[in-house]
Amino acid sequence: MNEVKPENSESRRGFLRKLTGWLLGVGVVVGSWPLLRALIPNVHYEPPKRFKVGMPEAFTPGVHFLDEHRLFLFRKDNAFHAVSGVCTHLGCTVKFSPFNQDKEMTVRKFTYLSAGEFHCACHGSRFHDEGTNFAGPAPRPLKWFQLELSPEDGQLVVDVAQEVDRDFRLVV
Amino acid sequence: MSLLPKKGFWDRLLWTWRPQTDREAGEAVVANFLLHWFPNRVTLKSLAVRYSLYLGTVLMVLFGILTLTGVVLMFLYVPSVERAYWGIKDLDYAVSFGWFLRRVHRISAHLMVAAVFLHMFRVFLTGSYKKGSAVGSNRPFNWVLGVVLLILTLFLSFTGYLLPWDQLAFWAITVGTNIAASVPLVGEQIREFLLGGTLVGQNTLIRFYVLHVVFLPLALFGVAIWHMWRIRKDGGLAVVEQLRDENRETAPEPPEKTKTWSVLGIASGASVTVMDPSTIREEDAVPSSPFLTTRLVAVTAVTLIVVMLLSIFVAAPLEQPANPEVTPNPAKAPWYFLGLQELVGYSALIGGVVIPGIVLLGLALIPYLDREQRRIGYWFTDKPGKRWGAIGALWGLLWTVGCLAFGIRFPMRSLFPNIESQLFFDLINPASLLLLSFVILYFLVLKITSSTRTAAIATFCAFIVAFILLTWTGTMLRGPNWEFFWPWQPWPTHPIPF
Ligand code: HEM
Ligand code: FES
Repeated sequence: MNEVKPENSESRRGFLRKLTGWLLGVGVVVGSWPLLRALIPNVHYEPPKRFKVGMPEAFTPGVHFLDEHRLFLFRKDNAFHAVSGVCTHLGCTVKFSPFNQDKEMTVRKFTYLSAGEFHCACHGSRFHDEGTNFAGPAPRPLKWFQLELSPEDGQLVVDVAQEVDRDFRLVV
Repeated sequence: MSLLPKKGFWDRLLWTWRPQTDREAGEAVVANFLLHWFPNRVTLKSLAVRYSLYLGTVLMVLFGILTLTGVVLMFLYVPSVERAYWGIKDLDYAVSFGWFLRRVHRISAHLMVAAVFLHMFRVFLTGSYKKGSAVGSNRPFNWVLGVVLLILTLFLSFTGYLLPWDQLAFWAITVGTNIAASVPLVGEQIREFLLGGTLVGQNTLIRFYVLHVVFLPLALFGVAIWHMWRIRKDGGLAVVEQLRDENRETAPEPPEKTKTWSVLGIASGASVTVMDPSTIREEDAVPSSPFLTTRLVAVTAVTLIVVMLLSIFVAAPLEQPANPEVTPNPAKAPWYFLGLQELVGYSALIGGVVIPGIVLLGLALIPYLDREQRRIGYWFTDKPGKRWGAIGALWGLLWTVGCLAFGIRFPMRSLFPNIESQLFFDLINPASLLLLSFVILYFLVLKITSSTRTAAIATFCAFIVAFILLTWTGTMLRGPNWEFFWPWQPWPTHPIPF
């Protein structure tokens, strides 16, 4: 008797159905991967992370906002440092609000002469000018960026891909 | 209900055909492709404006207007950072009726967002997410489809917001996508995927454009069709349950078994009438055509007129071209996100991720958490429902005002100047306090009334009040630097100098 038993054909049909289901599932995943992956760019045509901002002498002592780079360049005597102007809350550009007179301040065990505060327009975060957030929803201090002198022409070079500590100074 | 033929001039102008009998009206529905959408007969109750407010119909009409104007706008708009803004300027000044197209599209979009919320409020408050007793009904699932429609509507509006590529657009999207970045662990990846890079730029514009004109409208259309088909599968609008309840009350007791009932069920000579309370009585219903169709035409006409009138009087704003270097002060998201922006002002994680997540999840789960089946289709269910609704609204009012006042008077960071842990401020802030008050309200009412429906009404009413208050605060009471201003206080005119 080589008649196929009903249970047997049932299980064979069940197996085929399962196989079809799995193949379909795997097919959908495999097929949609290139579609989705293509949407994650490999090359960003965005402004470079390292750029020249000008000769050190061009900056008078004080605070300068480099609007196209959204960062603040501080000069005190011959020492330079660069602070990001991007609010750490949701990415608005902060504004610098200077004091009438410099004040000596101690923020997180760091004593320095403060020239003002940063204010963010979007949700009212405030930062000391050394970057520390002290009011509003901003979760982190503003970033500090690496500063160098270009060996070619002596211009200041900012590297926004490289963060530095609060006591960083470039002395020229 | 008789269907008398009318023969006046207007009738001839407006009606090419008028059914003469119920039967003819029914056959028309069966024979006609478009009318197939409708059931043969509809109950008078579900036609009442007082019950549905026809907001779902209004939504569909608005979607139609948006599609029509949107297609024309597609011919006139180029999604490139160099040209997008100037295309919109041309619409305002150089294209015949361009300003009108823009205004109609924009007003309809705002109205659609407002209507989708109002429709959800009405469906909730009338308890129309409940299954009821019709065979094959699955209204809870249709409510879930509704939540999907809500999300799609918000996304459609949000993606469209970027397209003018002005300051308003640019910064609203910057803030909006940065909210997504506050998701733990994968936030930054989500943001990059949305933006197609690390900044709002050309990649973002083309992404939002394609989502806005192809993907989201198609998805919304598909789900909306499904949503409306489900209404028929669910046995009509939930208000029909009222009729079933009434039928049950007036139905005579099932006949006692007497000798006329034989083994086979019915002895010869006895007549049987089926007393199934779930069938709708003839006299409670009317033919869909013309009773439903005329009402739909009327709602369409009213919606169109309102949109046109608003478009004539309300201008569509266009600010300076997008400038990544200058943040406008104050920078605000679209109005329907301003309640969120207000909360994001306390903590990006709580306000931007946790609360919207819980709200959406909570909304989707409502019909599964509250499975009570009594008095479906009545506004606020019953007397206690009304009372607890009012109490919930008051609770929402007090807590929202309280949390706002607290957040404005005592910023957390100045209360705890020595704490540096971000986790602390993410957990303890007015936004989480508000969330907590809602959870407390729900369980409090549940404990007192032991009714999930009553507890849900109280919490939902509190939510409505909080949503309106927060949105109003974000829209009207927040000025430069997101500082608080009463409506009668002028904003400082000089921006804080750099
Ligand atoms: C684009 C968005 C939407 C469209 C076009 C739409 C359309 C409709 C229409 C035409 C109706 C018939 C009754 C009426 O007009 O009120 C309806 C009913 C309903 N809607 Fe929506 N809707 C949308 C969004 C939503 C949302 C956000 C929810 C809830 C989260 C929802 C849940 C329901 C439910 C449960 C019903 C059945 C109500 C009942 O039985 O009385 N819908 N919808
Ligand atoms: S983006 Fe600066 S406070 Fe929100």
